Amino acid sequence: MLEIKNLTKIYPDGTLALDDVSFTVEDGEFLVVIGLSGSGKSTLLRCINRLIDPTKGQIIMDGQDITAAEPSELRRIRRKIGMIFQHFNLVDRSSVMTNVLSGKLGYINPWASLLHKYPPGAKKEAMAALEKVGITDQATKRADELSGGQRQRVGIARALMQNPSMMLADEPVASLDPVLAHTILGYLEQLNSESHISVICSLHYLDLVQRYATKVIGLRDGQVVYRGDREDIRKMTDGQFKEIYGEEAVRVNAGEFDQGEK
Amino acid sequence: MSQIIKQEKKRSFVTAPTAALLSLLLPGLGQILARRVQRGLLMFGALVSIVGLLVWRITLLGRLAEGFWPTLFKSLDRAPMFVAFGLLAIAGLWLWIVIDAAKQTNPNRQFGNSIFVLILVVFFTIGWQISEIDLVKLSSDANEAWVPLSKILWPWEAAVTHDTDTVEAGAKVLVDSEGQAPPVPEKTEGEPYLRVSPRKGELSKLDEDNQVIPGTKITVYGENFEPNTRTQIWWSDSIGNEFRPRYQGEYVSVMTDSEGSFEKELIMPYRLIPPSAKGQQIHKVMARQVSQVGPPLPSQPLILTIELIIETIFMGMMATIFGIIFSVPISFLAARNLMSTSWLTLTIYYLTRTVLNIVRAIEPLIWALIAVVWVGLGPFAGIVALTIHSIAALGKLYSEAIEGINPGPIEAIQATGANKLQTIMYAVVPQMIPPFVSFTIYRWDINVRMSTVIGMVGGGGIGFLLVQYIRLLEYKSAGIAVWFIALTVAILDYVSAEIRQKFV
Repeated sequence: MLEIKNLTKIYPDGTLALDDVSFTVEDGEFLVVIGLSGSGKSTLLRCINRLIDPTKGQIIMDGQDITAAEPSELRRIRRKIGMIFQHFNLVDRSSVMTNVLSGKLGYINPWASLLHKYPPGAKKEAMAALEKVGITDQATKRADELSGGQRQRVGIARALMQNPSMMLADEPVASLDPVLAHTILGYLEQLNSESHISVICSLHYLDLVQRYATKVIGLRDGQVVYRGDREDIRKMTDGQFKEIYGEEAVRVNAGEFDQGEK
Repeated sequence: MSQIIKQEKKRSFVTAPTAALLSLLLPGLGQILARRVQRGLLMFGALVSIVGLLVWRITLLGRLAEGFWPTLFKSLDRAPMFVAFGLLAIAGLWLWIVIDAAKQTNPNRQFGNSIFVLILVVFFTIGWQISEIDLVKLSSDANEAWVPLSKILWPWEAAVTHDTDTVEAGAKVLVDSEGQAPPVPEKTEGEPYLRVSPRKGELSKLDEDNQVIPGTKITVYGENFEPNTRTQIWWSDSIGNEFRPRYQGEYVSVMTDSEGSFEKELIMPYRLIPPSAKGQQIHKVMARQVSQVGPPLPSQPLILTIELIIETIFMGMMATIFGIIFSVPISFLAARNLMSTSWLTLTIYYLTRTVLNIVRAIEPLIWALIAVVWVGLGPFAGIVALTIHSIAALGKLYSEAIEGINPGPIEAIQATGANKLQTIMYAVVPQMIPPFVSFTIYRWDINVRMSTVIGMVGGGGIGFLLVQYIRLLEYKSAGIAVWFIALTVAILDYVSAEIRQKFV
């Protein structure tokens, strides 16, 4: 279980990115964070694994206070939290294999890893992770040779190597075709339902939110302006959606999810 | 100009005749008061600079003449076209500016910009004169350049040499002194043989007017030499100094006949015998046949060139390696994204940047002049100079590469629980390799090219040799060096382009 208590983030330039945000994520939940660009979604996700240090508040994961963790402790916490990104954040010049293996970095001897030496099982594990996302044939290619959808799958495989108990996904489909969005979110849903990994994901399309989320929070100017569960989301109207996103927002259809592989 | 055109509707402060009169007194003033301030200032500046430059050139051309008019006339005499054009141009421009001032008072009048064309033409003419451009010389003396150029373009005769074999015989003569003539040399079977007749005589002398008084005419008989071969006549004085006598400016030589014999008349050459010389002066006449034997061998210039081109390549390499070693840490200090955390680091950043820019602005040749004083002549001075410049250049390039890395992968690797070192190794280094390799190879390329000229100021490498050959007018040897430089640079260019392509 993840508890966020009174989380506040003020950037050095004075921007209030998160303002007293509190919520909980039960194990096995698929939490979707919605909100405009700049509403604090990315900051919130990055505070959870402390890529960004929060100014105030607490994040407690399975009883352990992440905000108070020492560097070595923090690394142990981070390796249990997989993360995927809008722009995939792969190392372009390295091979797909190396990118996936880098998910294991938190577990292995740092000095051995500098020489690119991995424990015997790691390569097999990496291939298994690639197989889960269906791109074993791309393992030896350079990461920048892959298409956008394939690259996000490498991102997922890298996160799987961490053997995570939670996945953070920062707009994982925002730079992909709508059709591919279902593929990628499908993998996350599969992880969520089969391996009981809780997922915290920021999304833009109401269709996708309605299709995948088990719980939703809406952020606006760093504040939580909407909370809803599966039922609430199903009933969510364009009016409510607009309220979160502001008056200018238009509902965009993200394509039929039935076409997505499942 | 578009900005000015937009201001067209502004009304002039003065009437057309006033503006013209004002511009006659002070060029540009009329335009300024007609509210064409930029135009007025530009015209004033242009005319003042043209007058100033012309006065300077006229003073130079007419120097040593006293007074204003003599100076002007002397300069007019020395460069009539230029001075006359200059004076006319100033008068014409001034007049034009006056007319322009009157026109500018009318806000609806379209601007004439052809006056600026005239100003440019005048500047161009003055520039032509200042830089002493001489097209006549360029074409008439072009053939002068052909001799060294042709030797440099095809220097390969100087690249080979042969061992030589010498067939030689000599005969003694008594000169300028009393006594018994030396005996006729003994004949030996199978050996070349030489005798002279008479075996006694007077050397050529110089009179007070340096006119040659011919010495005794002697005849040289040779036998048993190589048949049908050019044979050089040599002379050896009483202390064994050898030289080749000349006749009418040409070295004396003779062709042997089909039996290897010859007969040649010769006037005893001029040779100063010091007054302190005592006793009989026995000189020696010699006949020599020099022939090339054996395979062609690399000549001294070729060997030296190869040695020094190797030195040059390694100079470039060493300078690049030292440059990398020092510039990598410096580049971190010069990377804005790493140094913008506090005012202290930002100060260090600006300081490093400034120093790098200054050091880079000073050419390696100038650094070499300093390095020669510092560590003495030779390749090490060149390496020091190139290293200093490489540190500055690479430091800047590397720091820009660091500034350009994508923070995304760093974030992603951190999120996996990797520590700092792992993050650098997995997220930073792979991004840095292509620019680092590319810049380093590029710098090596520059350093080798620079080290070919750095020798000209004593910094070692092939430039040293090249300058020596050119100063000694040994254009063929210089040509060999030029060819090797061109080849090395071309190969390096190709190789570096290939390597960079592989890494980027």
